[in-house]
Amino acid sequence: MTSAELNAVTCGGKFGRIGRRDVLALLAGAAAWTSPSHAQRSAIPVIGYLCPESPGLFASRLKAFHEGLGEIGFIEGRNVAIDYQWAEGQYKRLPALAADLVARNVDVIVAPGGAPVALAAKAATASRTIVFEMGGDPVQLGVVDSLSRPGGNITGVSSLSVEVSPKRLEMMHELRPTAAKLAVAANPTSPTVNTQLEKLRSAAEILGVRLEVLMASSEKEFEAVFAAVTKEAARGLVFTSDPYFAFRSGQLAALAQRYGVPAITQSRDFPTSGGLMSYGGDFVQTHRRAGIYAGRILNGEKPSDLPVQLVTKVELIINLKAAKSLGLEFSPSLVSGADEVIE
Amino acid sequence: MEVRQGFRSLFQKYLLVLFMAVAIPLAINGVVEAWFGYRDQRARLDQLLGVQAMSAAAEIHDFIYGITNDLGWLVQLPWNDEPDERRRTDALRLFRQAPAIVTLTLLDHRGLERLYISRIGLNRIDSRTDRSTDPAMIGARAARAWFGDVTYNRGSEPYLTIAIVGNRPSVGAVIAEVNLKLIWDVISAIKVGKTGFAFVLDRPGRLIAHPDISLVLRGAEEATSRPFQAIRDAIGSAGVGSATGRDISGRDVAAAAAPVSGPDWTVVVQQPLSEAFGPIYAALKRTAAILVIGTVIAGLLAYALAHRMTEPIRLLEEGTERIGAGLFDHRISIETGDEFQRLADSFNRMAAELALAQEQQERIARLKRFLAPQVADLVDRTGDDSVLEGRRTEVVVVFCDLRGFTSFSAEVAPEEVMSVLSEYYEVLGRAITTFAATLISFSGDGLMVLVNAPVPVEEPALRAVDLAVEMQRSVQELIVGWRSRGYRVGFGVGLASGSATVGRIGYESRFDYTAIGSVVNLAARLCASATDREILMDAEVAEGVGGRRSVIGLGNRQIKGYDEAVPVFGISFDTP
Repeated sequence: MTSAELNAVTCGGKFGRIGRRDVLALLAGAAAWTSPSHAQRSAIPVIGYLCPESPGLFASRLKAFHEGLGEIGFIEGRNVAIDYQWAEGQYKRLPALAADLVARNVDVIVAPGGAPVALAAKAATASRTIVFEMGGDPVQLGVVDSLSRPGGNITGVSSLSVEVSPKRLEMMHELRPTAAKLAVAANPTSPTVNTQLEKLRSAAEILGVRLEVLMASSEKEFEAVFAAVTKEAARGLVFTSDPYFAFRSGQLAALAQRYGVPAITQSRDFPTSGGLMSYGGDFVQTHRRAGIYAGRILNGEKPSDLPVQLVTKVELIINLKAAKSLGLEFSPSLVSGADEVIE
Repeated sequence: MEVRQGFRSLFQKYLLVLFMAVAIPLAINGVVEAWFGYRDQRARLDQLLGVQAMSAAAEIHDFIYGITNDLGWLVQLPWNDEPDERRRTDALRLFRQAPAIVTLTLLDHRGLERLYISRIGLNRIDSRTDRSTDPAMIGARAARAWFGDVTYNRGSEPYLTIAIVGNRPSVGAVIAEVNLKLIWDVISAIKVGKTGFAFVLDRPGRLIAHPDISLVLRGAEEATSRPFQAIRDAIGSAGVGSATGRDISGRDVAAAAAPVSGPDWTVVVQQPLSEAFGPIYAALKRTAAILVIGTVIAGLLAYALAHRMTEPIRLLEEGTERIGAGLFDHRISIETGDEFQRLADSFNRMAAELALAQEQQERIARLKRFLAPQVADLVDRTGDDSVLEGRRTEVVVVFCDLRGFTSFSAEVAPEEVMSVLSEYYEVLGRAITTFAATLISFSGDGLMVLVNAPVPVEEPALRAVDLAVEMQRSVQELIVGWRSRGYRVGFGVGLASGSATVGRIGYESRFDYTAIGSVVNLAARLCASATDREILMDAEVAEGVGGRRSVIGLGNRQIKGYDEAVPVFGISFDTP
């Protein structure tokens, strides 16, 4: 069993055995067919895809979503159409885009990429079915009533990314056990920012470190965050879980290298782009399962019958090369606990 | 042909009997085969589902014991008071290997918590909380491996607590929380037939594993688990083997269960009845098809055989009808080479004989007209009319006629004439019959009777004389009546005996029997010369009578057509 499959808590037993390669092959073809398929839109179901970012940043997530959809038997351009709305990183535009999708009479709205998207979609309609994908606790954020009985018109998939923010602090502390002060980067516009900071503060207390909280809500503030880490003599930087950060892992990795700051984020894109390490939910799993749920809803299942799925897989990725360039060494327990080690 | 009420033709009977003879054994065979086939299939299904359930249970068992086994590596070395970095590394490595484990707690030999690691929450190192009275610890100490009750994390994800102690107290214990959602990989890979699957219930009957994860995530709810419990209970009450029931979507399913020891769970495998009984249905269909084909063949066979058997009977029936209708030249043609053919041959022979008999009958019927009934009967009995062949024989010829009839008939009305003649012939006919004489002809009031031909009799002369006397007596009785009515008629008789040629004369449709010879003329002449109340006979007759009747010689009389006078005799008789 590969680790990717271990967490494959999917429901599409019937379609589960469709080869992944087949799906990918069809996806490639599907992209070519998308534009002429408008004529068929009245006949085939339409998914409204509300995306907080641009297509480039979201490509890997979208691929996972298509995989999930394919497991239920839906191939874009063949038997389902997708109406994409791109917020291009401007989260303020989400409510308007969501309302737009509602007005376009799509069959199901898919709201991936975090709590802001889910909340924007939820605010836009109380009747249209919504499938969300996020990292936070959907109950705590008021998206659903309970995990087993989401209630209403909304259900979806949640990773444990937000919940594991203190674990990132713990890992940074393990890497720098002697540090008295660690920096935390948070997005003040995130709906989960307060709860995360609260948890981080209590964790810091347990671990015996001081926290320097740095705020950033746009790309141009990133550099200031890294500069502040160095200025404040914090020994490491912990990113709170936030989709805005997650989608800009490459940028953050480059800044971390430039400023020589040991940092940990939620997304595996960070260490793979040269960052030090990441700890968070597996977005491939969450997006794939969101695709499965969207397919099941298109097949006529009611959202209230589909419990919110938690993707319990949380992965630790470490980059030994980055550690070396920072002059750091991972403890054996971190190395042995890592799901992926980049050498 | 008359069709009686409730008539059923032989063809129908044969058809029915032959059809039944083939169809009933076929049907019985089919039903028996279907029944045994069903039982065998059912037994096979029981066996198959049972094996599937056991294999599924073994896989679930492997999942749990795989984790238990991994946990065993954490309780190998004795604890000391120092923080144990190596154990932490081992525990983290185990985290990576066993993704279902959510948290791990390592306890030392005193039951103090030495290490707690979590995927979500913060780790605790050497908190030294006393957990020796934890139910997991107590349970594990008693049985080395302890499985808690399934709990639902946030009311959704099923969690199981497993506790393991080492093989000696100093190595302490490990307690792990396992997210059972991950059994999905195992359970979804279990296929029962084409569309069948397996699910797992814990001891109280809550759903903890099912290929549809959304059901598992609501396993804590009674409503979700109830249909699954119903299937489990149905299997439980059915004893060994499989049971049938309804699944959550209302399909009929066949299911079998197997226990998972340790956590005391039940694995149930189920297969849609339509699929599970597919081979049974196929076999039944096959049997039904064979039955239908067999029945059709039986029908055709029965029809052909019944036709073959009844066709000769029909021919015979038709033949007898035709023969009965008088078509004696009809022949029944049956070439079956069996009893039917023999019967047909008999019929044909019979028809030929009947034709002959009828021909004779017709001839005899013709003869009866002029023969005395006794003679006619004789001819009838012997079936031989050779007595009527022409020959020369001794006969007595009797003539008689009425005197004065011609003038009488001219005077009275024709009805009266016919009435008188009718009475007259009636009494004469009676007399002729009584004496077994042969009526040759009658014309007007006269008639000719022959005695001793065609059938010879004893004492022909005597008989003829007695006949003549009887004629006179009975006619004279009539004459008394007639005279009272004013009719003047008389009656005379003449007899003569001698050799004459007798035989049939005439043509095909009109034969008569007659006598030719002088004796006939003589009798006629005697009759002509006889007066009323007179019976005249020739010498030969008188001689034939001998002395037995009072014959009186009347001397010679000149008879017309005879050169010499002929001796004539009379006879007296009582007159009324």
